[in-house]
Amino acid sequence: MSKIVVLGAGIAGHVAASHLRRKLAKEHEVVVVSPNSNYQWIPSNIWVGIGRMKPRDLIFPLAPLYAKKHIGYKQAKAIGFYPEGDNDEQKPYVLAEYVAGDEKGKQEKVTYDYLINATGPKLNFEGTEGLSPGKNKAHSVCTYTHAQEAWIALEDIIKQMKQGKKVKILIGTGHAKATCQGAAFEYILNVEQELRRHKVRDMAEITWISNEYQLGDFGMDGMLLSYGSNILKSSEMVEMIFEDRGIHWILGAGVNKVEDGVVHYETLDGEYKQKSYDFAMLIPSFSGHGFKAYDKNGGDITNKLFKGFMIVDADYTPKPYEEWTVQDWPETYQNPSYANIFAPGIAFAPPHGISKPRKSKNGTDITPAPPRTGMPSGITAKLVADNIIEMIKNPNHELHHKGSMGNMGAACIASAGFGMTKGSGISITTYPIVPDFKKYPDTHGRKLGKTFGSIGLAGHWLKLALHYAFIYKAKMKPFWWLIPE
Amino acid sequence: MTRRISKYKRFMMMNPIVQFFKFIFLSLKVLVIVAGGHGGTRKA
Repeated sequence: MSKIVVLGAGIAGHVAASHLRRKLAKEHEVVVVSPNSNYQWIPSNIWVGIGRMKPRDLIFPLAPLYAKKHIGYKQAKAIGFYPEGDNDEQKPYVLAEYVAGDEKGKQEKVTYDYLINATGPKLNFEGTEGLSPGKNKAHSVCTYTHAQEAWIALEDIIKQMKQGKKVKILIGTGHAKATCQGAAFEYILNVEQELRRHKVRDMAEITWISNEYQLGDFGMDGMLLSYGSNILKSSEMVEMIFEDRGIHWILGAGVNKVEDGVVHYETLDGEYKQKSYDFAMLIPSFSGHGFKAYDKNGGDITNKLFKGFMIVDADYTPKPYEEWTVQDWPETYQNPSYANIFAPGIAFAPPHGISKPRKSKNGTDITPAPPRTGMPSGITAKLVADNIIEMIKNPNHELHHKGSMGNMGAACIASAGFGMTKGSGISITTYPIVPDFKKYPDTHGRKLGKTFGSIGLAGHWLKLALHYAFIYKAKMKPFWWLIPE
Repeated sequence: MTRRISKYKRFMMMNPIVQFFKFIFLSLKVLVIVAGGHGGTRKA
């Protein structure tokens, strides 16, 4: 009998736990440890942020589902890793602290045979002075509660516009090394459409602010896309959309400070500038959770497990952009020091960025961090679950299930406005996620045809269909496993 | 020079009948790319 502990119940953690439970006999124990009581379908948060969905539309409580499916669940947060156990406990364990209920504050050694660290990122708001959800008129859509607060503020701004007030809206990244530009991109287009729906579009100046060097970089070094019968750069596609929507843009901006209605940023030219606003939505940087790890004798071995995020089978040798290869990226998400620890999704430490790194004239890194959200999280979690199942059945088995982001496709269905007849979406697929410049030297490292873009109402329908399909899947309803990650 | 979305293109983008077929096409294309598999990069 084996015990698999999954830390986190986001996309990666929940996918891993559900596949493990479906494929493993009941004699094996699957336990999820998460401080969150609800599962949330994060890609739909932007619709909560414009008031077109309620949080209840994209969340459901984890405890009843896990009880029904025989998955153990502890509403607790991990506070320490002990992969060798300690003098009192022979088995490896994670020290967890309960965050709710009668046991709140109580610590427990959660032992395991296999550990999946799917704790995702820490939303590092403190990385930018003055950036905090709901503070200084700046908001976030990173969680459903943040998105709900953003909508309350946006609704108030719309009321003011209806009374004749002209406003400035600023949406983008709130740190020089932020990632998740895609979420901000979706939000700015949805806000723009909502203002048109409320007939106040002419009262607002909308500006995109981003650490990207070019529009459409998305932390993926941009893309060369098939677009209908044309081939164009993602920068050209996004520029076309922003021009069409009357959205201004500021690029290469490392936001370093947020004050009441004013954002301060540094440009790649080394200039320090500021931009005023009445409503802002700024994505924070992501960081590791600052976990500590200890050996059997209590010695600090954090550097064997963590490099900000968790160390996996990537090549972390520092090298210049020109020498980056897809082979640097992990395939199995297994920790090299402890073979029974894995980190799928955002929890793994990437070997380096994907976008070309750039510094300002003052030496400040202003480069998007690599995205690992959504589809890659699900795919990597499933392959980790499959490898653990094989290891349980045959402990000396080589890991057969591999999924490098350099050999994996992804779809980004970006909402560009809500509505069954007035909505719009920008469907982008990319293959591979990490460009392979050796395999596809003439098409910026990606395969044309599998890397394509499309704009239109169908994109909105597709995003909405995925919303319902993935919540159905997450609720583990009949035949849920037929829906791919 | 920035590309622009023409009136004809916009009509096609928002026409529910055209977009219904586009929806079917996109769903299948995304499924093929995403479910088309993944693997390692270090061993041929």
